[in-house]
Amino acid sequence: MKMKKAVTFLTVLFASIFLLAACGGEDSGGNGTSSGNTKSIKFMHLWPEGSSAQHHKVVNEIITDFEAENDGITIDLEVLSNEQYKDKIKVLSTSNELPDVGMTWAAGYMEPYVNGNMFAAVDDIIESDLSDSFVPGTAEAFSIDDTAYGLPLELNISTIFYNKAIFDEYSLEEPQTIEELHEIVDTLNENGVNPIALGNRDAWTGSMWYMYLADRFAGEEDVLTQAINREVSFEDPALVQAAQEIQKLVESGSFVQGFNGLADEEAKSMFMGEQAAMYLIATWDLPNFTTNEDVPQEFRDSVGYFKFPTVDGSGDSNSYVGGPGVGLFVSENSDVKEEAKAFASYFVQQWGEKAVTEVGIIPATKVDADSLDLPQMYVDVLNDLNEATNITLYADVQMSASAAQVHLDMIQALFGGDVTPEGFAKTHEDTLSAEE
Amino acid sequence: MNKVMSNKWIIILYTFPALLLIAVLIVIPLILSGYFGLMDWDGIGAMEFIGLDNYIAALQDTKFWDSTLHSFLLALFSACSLIGYLAVALILASKIKGASLLRKIYLIPMLLSSVAIAQLWIKVYNPSNGMLNSILLGLGIDNPPAWLADPNIVLYAIFVPIIWQYAGFYILIYYAALKNIPESLIEAAKIDGATPLQIALKIKIPLIMNVFKVTIVLSIVGSLKYFDLIYVMTGGGPNGASEVMASYMYKLAFSSYNFGYGSAIGFLLLIITLIVTVIIRKLTVSKDEIQY
Amino acid sequence: MRRIGYTLLYVCLGLVAVFQIFPILWLFMFSLKSNQEIFAGNPFALPLEPRWENYLKVFDGGIGTYFWNSIWITALATVLTILVASMATFAITRMKWKLSSLVLGLIMVGLMIPIHSALIPLYNMFLNVNLIDNPLSIVITYVTYNLPITVMILLGFYTTIPREIEEAAIIDGSSIHRLFFRIILPISAPIMSTTVIINMIYNWNEFVFVNTFISSEKYKTLTVGIQNFIGQYMTDWGAIGATLVISVLPIIVAFLFFSNKIMEGITASAVKG
Repeated sequence: MKMKKAVTFLTVLFASIFLLAACGGEDSGGNGTSSGNTKSIKFMHLWPEGSSAQHHKVVNEIITDFEAENDGITIDLEVLSNEQYKDKIKVLSTSNELPDVGMTWAAGYMEPYVNGNMFAAVDDIIESDLSDSFVPGTAEAFSIDDTAYGLPLELNISTIFYNKAIFDEYSLEEPQTIEELHEIVDTLNENGVNPIALGNRDAWTGSMWYMYLADRFAGEEDVLTQAINREVSFEDPALVQAAQEIQKLVESGSFVQGFNGLADEEAKSMFMGEQAAMYLIATWDLPNFTTNEDVPQEFRDSVGYFKFPTVDGSGDSNSYVGGPGVGLFVSENSDVKEEAKAFASYFVQQWGEKAVTEVGIIPATKVDADSLDLPQMYVDVLNDLNEATNITLYADVQMSASAAQVHLDMIQALFGGDVTPEGFAKTHEDTLSAEE
Repeated sequence: MNKVMSNKWIIILYTFPALLLIAVLIVIPLILSGYFGLMDWDGIGAMEFIGLDNYIAALQDTKFWDSTLHSFLLALFSACSLIGYLAVALILASKIKGASLLRKIYLIPMLLSSVAIAQLWIKVYNPSNGMLNSILLGLGIDNPPAWLADPNIVLYAIFVPIIWQYAGFYILIYYAALKNIPESLIEAAKIDGATPLQIALKIKIPLIMNVFKVTIVLSIVGSLKYFDLIYVMTGGGPNGASEVMASYMYKLAFSSYNFGYGSAIGFLLLIITLIVTVIIRKLTVSKDEIQY
Repeated sequence: MRRIGYTLLYVCLGLVAVFQIFPILWLFMFSLKSNQEIFAGNPFALPLEPRWENYLKVFDGGIGTYFWNSIWITALATVLTILVASMATFAITRMKWKLSSLVLGLIMVGLMIPIHSALIPLYNMFLNVNLIDNPLSIVITYVTYNLPITVMILLGFYTTIPREIEEAAIIDGSSIHRLFFRIILPISAPIMSTTVIINMIYNWNEFVFVNTFISSEKYKTLTVGIQNFIGQYMTDWGAIGATLVISVLPIIVAFLFFSNKIMEGITASAVKG
């Protein structure tokens, strides 16, 4: 009889599966284990070696230094790419398995985690180790009800980068006002040059254009932020005018063909491949225009930037769209919370200068630019930052996650001409007021 | 004979592993997802039981219905394309020269992961540098469409790579089924003077009808829960023009932190798929089994 | 007339063949390009200066471990899936019992579940049995989630197996296990090869489950190697192309092997049948 054989086989199969499962259990549970003298801190970040070699290296240096200075503490590292990181954090949080230290985005993104008591308050770190070390406004973006739950690592402002060679060819000057921008667009279009690279499939790119126009039309007040905070209506004239202006820009052929189907990456490549003259992006792309050896020197030399133009004499060109990117959080339910906090604090202290000099990004901590040897464009950006009168945090970060989704969809519809400026404002107003 | 073939213990033994795995890893998550659908839950904080509110909200949600319609369109196109795959498989399984090489070449794209296929088709559809528009411009067609940006086109544009991606899968199944037909039947028909077309229509296709019916179910079910290329290539945009049920569910649960609502949509997706499958089975399954 | 028909047929077949082989060639060229050429250049163009360093980067990224994990996880999951699915299909289609259609229905429900609905419950369950960050969780999940489609494909073939084969075997005094392992499995070899190919491709290219259930580098698979090149603001597409090329090669070899098996198996079964 083969019966016996088959039964034995199946039994062995399932027995071995469960046995393996039991064995596997021993070395799992990386969430803040403290066994004996060594404590391990689980740390997750989103800078894989392959794509963010410098970030990755600096993080590893900081970890090595921290472990050397703190006997008996090891850092248990997991690295994921951006999208996968977000998805995994989401899954981990449902099972209350967040890493001891991890990365988060500001405001709207972190709100559910804070409300669900997942993130630890880090005011104590900011007041002691890191007092006065953050650029004003950055730590606040990671605060909810005046309590900070994240330590910002990056700070970006967005400006319009342009190709000087193309501008010179058609004797164009950096525009001060939106009318001048329209003239430049017309000239470029007459000569068959794509004026502005825009990858609006990701929609946050188009959102930056809209936010800037809203800021300029509103003048002194940051009406957009006020509307998101429900201090004014989203149907405020400035917010509708900005939407109208977006459609004017689209109608005059300012943006590359098919922008609603292009990823930001494709748009960026068009700009970097000298197929478009201008590109609005945040300063995280500075290395591409300055130090990145993979980009041809000739191109890097021909990139300049200008501040977003004013509108009808309204608006302040020193007011920016931007804000902190990722920050560190400490898990509220960590078994090694004190050590995790110490690590997060140490990380931020070490990160600041290394971020500028080695990684080539602008950290959220104050940096003394004069003492460092930096490319001119960095110096200029750091100076602009010092003179900034206002930084409006990206709308999709400010809003709750579900409102942000509506906003991004509406941005695509606005750019695609599928919604009127009034309808655009109304949908926002309805969504935001429904959340109150 | 009947006694041996209806031995209870053997039936249990043979189906137990499959049933255990499916019960634990599919049915339980399924029940849980239906249960989460009854909650107001962002996936992080406390759950609040809200009864059928999420399901009622879904039924009134135009985005949900739009995405459902898009999924059904995909299912329709996928099912129709099966006829084309069957034709290709018939040619490849016939005794023409080079059939073996052609078969291997035809199936190669199926080996590529969705990441690769998405990148390929993003390059095909790029409005200014893309392969398709380069060709169209070369043919003298001015202003070719921006395939993934135009809300009227994007849905159909994205169906093409999805259907293409699965071509190999179905051709392979049909091919194996056709090769399973006893040679003697075909020889006999040839002797009777049947043309290749007649052999295909009168002998081959009826004999693989069971397999064909299965593939109809597979393609419709697969289409209704399809996610990959849509997520990578358009993200459901612009403004929901290419959103399907699974991508909408993902967006709600994972991007909008509306896990309760997302779960409800996921559960509805399953219910819809289930109803459609039952209908298809009712329509296609006949009592008389085809025997050689 | 007939001749023209054949020529026309071959022209069409040839065109489709070119169309089908193009993606692999394209992928190879893609892997030798810079981001610039990939996004802004002519997609048909050859790389200006082939960037072989893209491959170097991939090997520096420690692809060896990933590669090995991909191979054994794929192989184990595929074998288990096909064994479990064949047994279930045999019981459902060849044996006589009342609940068979109910069991089949339950298995078919497995076809319909969107994976993102299942992800969070699955994570929680594996966490409870300490299987998180254990490759076994991946294997079990792959087996389960590929089971329905494998059963469905096998189903169509099992129903066409002539009853006489079984009757003859049983009359000869063969046990059911002997019938299944020695007769049914061998004659279904062609369709098993088909399901092997399909399972292999699915398991090899899967990454949502791996990313969610696995956190240690030592257990990650090749698809995670791709994630390594996706950055917060910048993605190295050339290196992703190189990873894709490296990872598609073994699957092509395996595919060619099993694709021939389909033919061999048929010849064998034709003799027996």
